[in-house]
Amino acid sequence: MKKFVVKRVLLSIVILFFVSMIIYGIMRCMPSSFVENKALELSQKPGAKSYQEWLDQLNSSYGLDEGIVQGYFTWAGKAVRFEFGDSWLFNQPVLEKFSSVIWYSFALSLSAFILEMLIAIPLGVIAAKKQYSGADYAITVLALIGISLPSFFFATILKWIFSVKLGWLDLYGIVGRMHDQLSPVGQVLDMAQHLILPVITLTIVSIGSMMRYVRTNMLEVLNSDYIRTARAKGLPERRVVNHHAFRNTLIPIITLLGGTLPSLFGGAMITETLFQIPGIGYTSYTCITQGDIPFVMFYMLFSAVLILVGNLIADILYAVVDPRVRVN
Amino acid sequence: MADNKNTENKKLALDDAQRVKVLSPGMMVIKRFIRNKLAIIGMVIIIFMFLFSFVGGAIIPYSESEVFYTTEEIKKDYAGATYIDDYLMFEAEGATIPSDAFSKAVLAMTKKQIVVESRKDGLLALRPIDDTTYLLYAAEETKNPKAMKSEEKAAAEEAGDCYFEYAGTPYIVDASSGKERLYNVTELSLLCKKSFTAYDEATTFSFSFYKNAMLAMAKNENSFSVDGVNYTLEHESEDAAMVHAADGTDYAYISSLNINNVIKGIFLTPEFKELVTLAIEEGQDSFEYTDAEGKTDTYLLSQKQGQYLIQRYQETRVIDTFASPSKEHWVGTDGNGMDMLARLMYGGRISLLIGFVVVFIEVIIGVIIGGVAGFFGSWVDNILMRVVDIVYCIPSMPLYMILGSIMDHYKASPKTRIFMLCIVMSILGWVGIARIVRGQILSLREQEFMVAAEATGISIKRRIFKHLVPNVIPQLIVFATMGLGDVILAEATLSFLGLGIKYPSASWGSIINAVNDSYVMTNYLFVWIPAGMLILLTVLAFNFIGDGLRDAFDPKMKR
Repeated sequence: MKKFVVKRVLLSIVILFFVSMIIYGIMRCMPSSFVENKALELSQKPGAKSYQEWLDQLNSSYGLDEGIVQGYFTWAGKAVRFEFGDSWLFNQPVLEKFSSVIWYSFALSLSAFILEMLIAIPLGVIAAKKQYSGADYAITVLALIGISLPSFFFATILKWIFSVKLGWLDLYGIVGRMHDQLSPVGQVLDMAQHLILPVITLTIVSIGSMMRYVRTNMLEVLNSDYIRTARAKGLPERRVVNHHAFRNTLIPIITLLGGTLPSLFGGAMITETLFQIPGIGYTSYTCITQGDIPFVMFYMLFSAVLILVGNLIADILYAVVDPRVRVN
Repeated sequence: MADNKNTENKKLALDDAQRVKVLSPGMMVIKRFIRNKLAIIGMVIIIFMFLFSFVGGAIIPYSESEVFYTTEEIKKDYAGATYIDDYLMFEAEGATIPSDAFSKAVLAMTKKQIVVESRKDGLLALRPIDDTTYLLYAAEETKNPKAMKSEEKAAAEEAGDCYFEYAGTPYIVDASSGKERLYNVTELSLLCKKSFTAYDEATTFSFSFYKNAMLAMAKNENSFSVDGVNYTLEHESEDAAMVHAADGTDYAYISSLNINNVIKGIFLTPEFKELVTLAIEEGQDSFEYTDAEGKTDTYLLSQKQGQYLIQRYQETRVIDTFASPSKEHWVGTDGNGMDMLARLMYGGRISLLIGFVVVFIEVIIGVIIGGVAGFFGSWVDNILMRVVDIVYCIPSMPLYMILGSIMDHYKASPKTRIFMLCIVMSILGWVGIARIVRGQILSLREQEFMVAAEATGISIKRRIFKHLVPNVIPQLIVFATMGLGDVILAEATLSFLGLGIKYPSASWGSIINAVNDSYVMTNYLFVWIPAGMLILLTVLAFNFIGDGLRDAFDPKMKR
């Protein structure tokens, strides 16, 4: 087991090396005048560093004046030491900006994740239990609609209903107009209120695949021999489903969920942007549209690391559950 | 049916092959697929979408980027009017006026002097006609006792005038310094706060016309003559008068208002100015005027800081933006005045096309890489699967967006954008297919039929693509169908963010993009609801079909 984990971790590091190389290569694809223009534009802001200072900083941190391979190692060497430079857009260190916005994203993703589990697992189990019933069809169609729903369209409908027509919730932002006058508890509630629509959007859009996954796995378990045995020895159906079948379904589900845990930090770019929740997704969206290279590079690398860690966790969990995986 | 007929005609043995209806595996799949209601619904939707986009786009009379116009009554500025504050100088023909004459004259008016000294050219004499009207002369002091004692001078003095003519020579008497001085004068100009409007654009008046008209106005006379032509003067108020020619038609209009047209190429007639002056004096908000072509319009008058603005409602051709659904435009028009239905159809073409092209490229790359990796195994498999891992780890959404920004920077044409989008989406999307193909082939290559294939000595290429890949096709079709939905969704999301397809090309995502303006979102539902529903239905249909196909191919799942 230890050997397996070490091997997977080393492999992940190698993959990360190549992924970061590709990310760096994409950055180098940007028109060269773009960087100079950006530096010029930045230097003209009041109180900003001079043009040469910006240009030097960029050149040194991204190795732009060197060849592409050497430049990559210059940049990677700094990235390993967590030196990502200053964000152009926010005029502060990238990591500082990152740590100030990440918790909004985490709160949003975590609420959606919990809600998703609470809805998807019971519905998936019900659908599997009564296969080909009306409920099964309804749940399957619902799941497919969730998968097919464009998040921006669904978010717009929600905004139209709840913000425009009913006027219950605000259209944009994480805080209300009177936020500063509220008590600490009121402030938290205010933020929670602003997260309602984004959480619903995120949940509905991602619930479908989870529901189907639960249903498929539950069906597989329900058709296995030990369930037949349990039924044969005369256990009540409720006990068969809840104790024998459901517990066994949990194994693949938890494996899947373990793999998605890191992505909770990745932010939901589209949803955050639509509701202007100042999380990592919305921040990087603005950075990308504004051409803030330092932040975008950091975000790309960060996303890649999250995907890798997710895969690693999933692999390890699979290995824990199924010893056969460890061998191969 | 055929079987039934057979049983009627001849007797069949129990073990007769014809007794059992044997369906080919393909037919079995089709049969199972047709039984699936959801899949059929999906099929119907997709067929409808294709007809809608490809046939509909050809039938609809409008093009993708045709802009529609409508006429609207818009209040437009027509003319402006101001009271004349400064003296206007009307010069006598052939007179050379000293450069400082105007300022000297104005100075003399305030000091109530009659004769002032010009800087170089001698003396200037100012003859008041009424409060705001003066005649300016060049003066030369003379001594003429006869003239001083003449009846003409006495008559002029009695009338309060300093000007008289004696023996055909004009004189001005200045008594302001206590002692009477006599000046010999020649006319230079008329100073007044009046504007003269001729009956048509080309006419200009002579100095004598100005002078005599003003004299007549000051003296409240009803007629005057210039060069032997008689005119009658109709006083309308203290400041305004209409000059009629001998035949009674309007000849000129004198007013203390300066009225100018705002729109180029319009000539304001004396009659129009008369109406404006009357309206201003009576404090009216509007008046009606019938122009030379007999068209009567209502003109609106408004005042702002001493300036009067004359406006008129005018039919103007404007772009028909956000028109509600109507007979001409079934789904209305968008913010650029383009027909929504046509844009939805053309957008559908692009969305569907991108979906198919991307999935096609994905399948080709995925099958080749997955097939090679699965068949050869060992180090080839290892390397290729690490490549798959690497591509899988590249964060796609930020990458698409960066590419969108780069294309923005290079001002790529809509066609280039579509092309690039297809390429990049397929380069990032093939990994899923490669994994499936590899996994399938890994298990298939150990089976007996592959051992048999190897034993017959078929080439490796044939073994992979003739014997292994066809066995993967069911999974491939299912995955590709569902992938179509995902690609369409991704393209719509990108276009929605303004980074995919750009104006004037349309895609369903870029049509919904309009909701970024909250006003559009709130008030023009017809702009974004149809496009959103089309995306949802299309993706849903692909998922229904994919689901149905999976069940049809793999009946084991239908337990």
